[in-house]
Amino acid sequence: MDDYLTDEQTVFDVEDVNKIIKDTLETVIGENSYKHSRVNQWSTNVVEQCLLRLSKLGKPYKYIVNCFIMQKNGAGQQTATSCFWDNSSDGSCMVKWEKDSMYVQVSVFGLAI
Amino acid sequence: MEEYSSGDDVNLFFYINTVIKSSIVSLLKFCIEGVIGGTDYNQNKINQWTASIVEHSLTHLVKLGRPFKYIVNCSVMQKSGAGLHTANSCYWDTTTDGSCTVRWENRTMYCVVSVFAVAM
Repeated sequence: MDDYLTDEQTVFDVEDVNKIIKDTLETVIGENSYKHSRVNQWSTNVVEQCLLRLSKLGKPYKYIVNCFIMQKNGAGQQTATSCFWDNSSDGSCMVKWEKDSMYVQVSVFGLAI
Repeated sequence: MEEYSSGDDVNLFFYINTVIKSSIVSLLKFCIEGVIGGTDYNQNKINQWTASIVEHSLTHLVKLGRPFKYIVNCSVMQKSGAGLHTANSCYWDTTTDGSCTVRWENRTMYCVVSVFAVAM
């Protein structure tokens, strides 16, 4: 007999993921200013902690977390993403976070197994 | 009933990580060059350029005909001395899924394209 999965488990919950990302950013970066020596550690910590919390949701999903941190310097920047997946079960969530000294963008992609 | 051999998974894994990865890298470079090769950073066109890069890359990847879901991410940044950091982390099946990142630059901009391939 096949396992029965509720609709709840096979839909990518954007709100939950949004909350996880925001909490992680507050915890890891918080009120700090852009520092070249620490940015590497911040971006690594953000993706690792997001992934840990996402896997704890216990949903049958594979996750990809992308974190982008850019110093505010007047430079222009543009990002585009394109996905080839199953629209009914897969989804993404993007959080843009702006501080005085930097821009942070975190994207989470969830693909149903 | 089909016969299953565990050797097949290992061969597929090897194939994915060597043969396909190198062809994806060349494919991405080709797509980037085709769209922004020989141009300077232009704020009016950048939106269109990044969209073209991801669309062309995805179209070519799908044409490979492999049983994968794809995510293509492209970032273009103007060269002006600002610091930039990107990190990716993935929670997937390491035997069948993989990713590939290509960095490209010219006189006025940096371009980073990442492809994530997840087995269906």
